[in-house]
Amino acid sequence: MGRSNGIKILTVLRKEITAGLRHRAALASMLMFALTALACMSLALGGAALEPKILAALLWIVIFFASTVGLDRSFEDEAAAGTLATLKVYADAQSILFGKMIYSLLSLTALTIFLLPMFIILFDCPIAAPLSMLLTVALGLVGLSGAGTLIAAIAATASVKSGLFSILLFPIVLPIFLPAIALTSAAMLGGEISLTMPIAMLLYDAILIVASSILFDYIWN
Amino acid sequence: MSMRIVFDGVKLSFGDKIIFDGLTTEFESGRATAIVGANGAGKSTLLKLAGRFLEPDDGTVKAFDGDKELLRAEYRKRIAALAPTMNLYDRLTASENLKFFAGLRDAAIDDIDGLFARVGLTVGDGKKYVGEYSTGMKQRLKLAIVLAVDADVWLLDEPGANLDEAGRSMVLSEIARAVGEKKLILLATNDPIEAEAAENVLRL
Repeated sequence: MGRSNGIKILTVLRKEITAGLRHRAALASMLMFALTALACMSLALGGAALEPKILAALLWIVIFFASTVGLDRSFEDEAAAGTLATLKVYADAQSILFGKMIYSLLSLTALTIFLLPMFIILFDCPIAAPLSMLLTVALGLVGLSGAGTLIAAIAATASVKSGLFSILLFPIVLPIFLPAIALTSAAMLGGEISLTMPIAMLLYDAILIVASSILFDYIWN
Repeated sequence: MSMRIVFDGVKLSFGDKIIFDGLTTEFESGRATAIVGANGAGKSTLLKLAGRFLEPDDGTVKAFDGDKELLRAEYRKRIAALAPTMNLYDRLTASENLKFFAGLRDAAIDDIDGLFARVGLTVGDGKKYVGEYSTGMKQRLKLAIVLAVDADVWLLDEPGANLDEAGRSMVLSEIARAVGEKKLILLATNDPIEAEAAENVLRL
C-alpha cells in the first residue's frame, strides 16, 4: 500500500470523523445501549458478587451488542443518503474499507473508554493484570471493527437488512470472543497468562483484515 | 492519451424487459455523444455500463487507452460522473465535499474559489453545509467535483437538470471546453439543446 493510498485512507477517515462528530447518532446509539445494559444488569444484580468468567462474558456481550447498534450504519447510512453511488465513482475499494475500518475501531475505542471504567466500578471488578486486560480489549476491538466493516458493507447491499448484520457478524467474531472472554477473566484473577490465546487472537485479527481486504474488492465493484 | 469505450453485442434485460439487445457502438476521446430516448429507454443504464458499474448479460463493454485495454479498477480512476442518484454529504460543507472527492483521486485544487465561480457558486456558498443547498446548487457542486478530478471520461446523466438558464449554458460551455481538452463525454439527456450541442447522438 503506497503513500497515495495512505493519504486516501486518511481522507476517508477524516470525512468519517467530521461527519460522525456532526451527526453523532451512531456513537450516541452505542453509548446509550451500553449505558442501558449496564444500568439494567447492575440494578438486577443488586451488588451480588459474580464470578470473573461471568463478568468477562457480560462485558463482551455488552461490547458486541453495542457495536452492532453503531457499526451496521457505516454503509447503510451512505446507501440511504445516496452518497454510496458517488463514493463508488470516485473512491477505490481499499481506501473506503480501511478508512471506515479505522473509524469503526476509533468508535469502539471511545465506547470502551466509556464502558470499561463504569463496568469495573458498578460490578466491583477486580483487575489483577491491567495490561493484559487492555491488550485483550485492544485485540478484541480490532477484530470486531475488521469483521464489522466488511459485514456492514455486505448487509447494506441486501434487500432485507433487519437483523442481518448481527446474524452475519456473530459467527465471524466468535473465534475472537471466546479467547477474549477467557483472557479477560484471567486478567481479573491475575496469575500466569498463556501467550497462546493472545497470539491466536492476533493471528485471527490479521486473517480477518486480509480476508476483508480481498473480499471487499468484489463487494465494492 | 486517447480513450475509447467499445460496446460489442451488449445484451441487458431487467426481468422481462429487454433494455439492450445486441448493442454495438464505440465512443472516443474528443467527442461528446448525447444519449437520447424516452423515459425507461436505458439512457442511465447505458452510462452505468459505460462506466462498468453494471455488467451486461451478454456481450462486452471494454475501455481502451490507445491500444491498451484497461482493467476495471484502472478504468474507474479515469472516470468522473454526475447523476441524479449520486448525492453529496449534507453534513459537510461544499468545500469539504469538493476537497473530499478530489482527495480520493489525488487531485489538487489550486483555486477552490475560482472553481466555485466557474460553476456559478460563490465563496460564501463554499462554507455552507450541502444540506442547506437547493437542488440546483447541488447540481453545480457535482459539476465542480467533475471539473476538480479532471478525469478523461465524463459520464453525465441529465447534467442540466434543476439548473436555471445560466446554469444550463454553463454546463454546455464546460462540455465544449472538455471536448477541446480531448475528453470523452457521454451525456444522457432529454433536453434537445444539450443533445444538439453534442457532436454525436445515440438514440435509444
